[in-house]
Amino acid sequence: MTEQISALMDDELAIEDAAHIFTSMQSNQPAAEAWRQYHLIGDVMRGGATLSPHFKQNLMQKLELEPTVLAPNAIQAKVSKINQLKSKLPATWSIAASFAAVMVVGVMAMQVQTQPDNEFAPVAVAEIEPVEQSIPAEYLMAHQASAPSASSYYIQSASYSESAR
Amino acid sequence: MMRLVLARFFASLSPALVLGFISCLSFNVQAATDENAWNVLQKAAVAARALSYQGVFVCQTERKTKSVQITHLFDGKNEFARNVLLDGSPREVLSQGGDLVIYNPKNEKIVIEKRRGQNMFPAVLPVNLEAVKESYLLRLGVLERVAGRESQVLILEPKDGLRYSYRFWIDTEYGLLLKSVMFNSRDEIMESIAFNQLALLNSVELDWFKPKIDHNKNYVMEDEPVVIASNGTPVDWVIKDLPAGYRKIDQITRMVNGKLHPVTHIIFSDGLASVSLFIEPAPKGNKAKVLLTTMGNASVYANINKGHLVTVVGEVPEATIVQIANAVVFKK
Repeated sequence: MTEQISALMDDELAIEDAAHIFTSMQSNQPAAEAWRQYHLIGDVMRGGATLSPHFKQNLMQKLELEPTVLAPNAIQAKVSKINQLKSKLPATWSIAASFAAVMVVGVMAMQVQTQPDNEFAPVAVAEIEPVEQSIPAEYLMAHQASAPSASSYYIQSASYSESAR
Repeated sequence: MMRLVLARFFASLSPALVLGFISCLSFNVQAATDENAWNVLQKAAVAARALSYQGVFVCQTERKTKSVQITHLFDGKNEFARNVLLDGSPREVLSQGGDLVIYNPKNEKIVIEKRRGQNMFPAVLPVNLEAVKESYLLRLGVLERVAGRESQVLILEPKDGLRYSYRFWIDTEYGLLLKSVMFNSRDEIMESIAFNQLALLNSVELDWFKPKIDHNKNYVMEDEPVVIASNGTPVDWVIKDLPAGYRKIDQITRMVNGKLHPVTHIIFSDGLASVSLFIEPAPKGNKAKVLLTTMGNASVYANINKGHLVTVVGEVPEATIVQIANAVVFKK
């Protein structure tokens, strides 16, 4: 199934022949997940440079500021206005938007998944030497992210846990 | 062939640099002069970016060793590279020009990290070597064999005790950097990266330029560090006397995990080595203390100065990071 999804995305499979893929994606969780992930990978490879560093925050802020519109007529008018705007936007916008959406989902997924780890965190901290405690690994990680030495792309700092699976 | 590729690479660079390099090329390979050594180094800086090649290199620090498979392509306009870790978890680094995407397996997930790329082996040398020339001396060494190829050894030594020394092995035919070793002041190896297999690529196909996808894992974007616009933060400090040769490269204000206040992060470089300086309000109740330690290859120094915590991290001698910490002068 994943090969077929991949083929569909690469235009190697005609949309007319792909009805069964769309159907199965609605019911089949792994297939839908593969579709989402391939798009995320594709978007990243094409470069999300159109996104500003504060894109997520700004987008969320703007959504906050949007008034809740109760009158359906007004919504209709707004939708057509948005459609007009959309046609004027560069094609990259839609990539950026889906990229942001996936990113938000990704971050949410990460937060949910990392929560159980917190139970173990206090134990780990208690075992660390006092010196290490005063110099959090975050500084080293921030240094390596912004000013990497040639080996830091491949050899992680000591604090980084690299589990086998 | 080689000349043609280089010429195309230069078309994408500034005219001044091109002139500079062409004048380098016109020198004859002759006596072992300093100028000649710098020309070989200059050529290596360009060759790493302008040639297309594939190989395996081994990256080694005090603690760990990793093998990396590299495929690098320059198509006349853009640079593409895919680096795959062959040992341990299958981390991949894909770069296009200066944009870098890291696929980093962490437990059941693959975290996608985006970075601005620089100094990725073998492109560890800057194309503009002026800053390096200011702080280091270069001389030619012997000829040695690396990865089955003949190479010229270059010895780069600091003019003072504020940086480490390096040794480079440059392919005598391709001009490519085959091996790079960094030594501390006691001549101990801090970092070593060397090809053990290398071949030039003839094709401009890009079918290899994609990560290997693991269907069983979730792909997620990394949690971005919250970056704060610097203009709003009141600055009550200045940076006075920096150690010789170090210049400010960048400054960002960010939130760091577990810290209540934003941290100002400033990056300095002497052309090869980089140092990070972090300034933030000191936690209440902390008495003045000074800390000097090492974490892997990096020297780390922290002190509390007039209500601020100043932390300096870098792959440089301790004297350098202490000097950078002391260069911060608080106005209060």
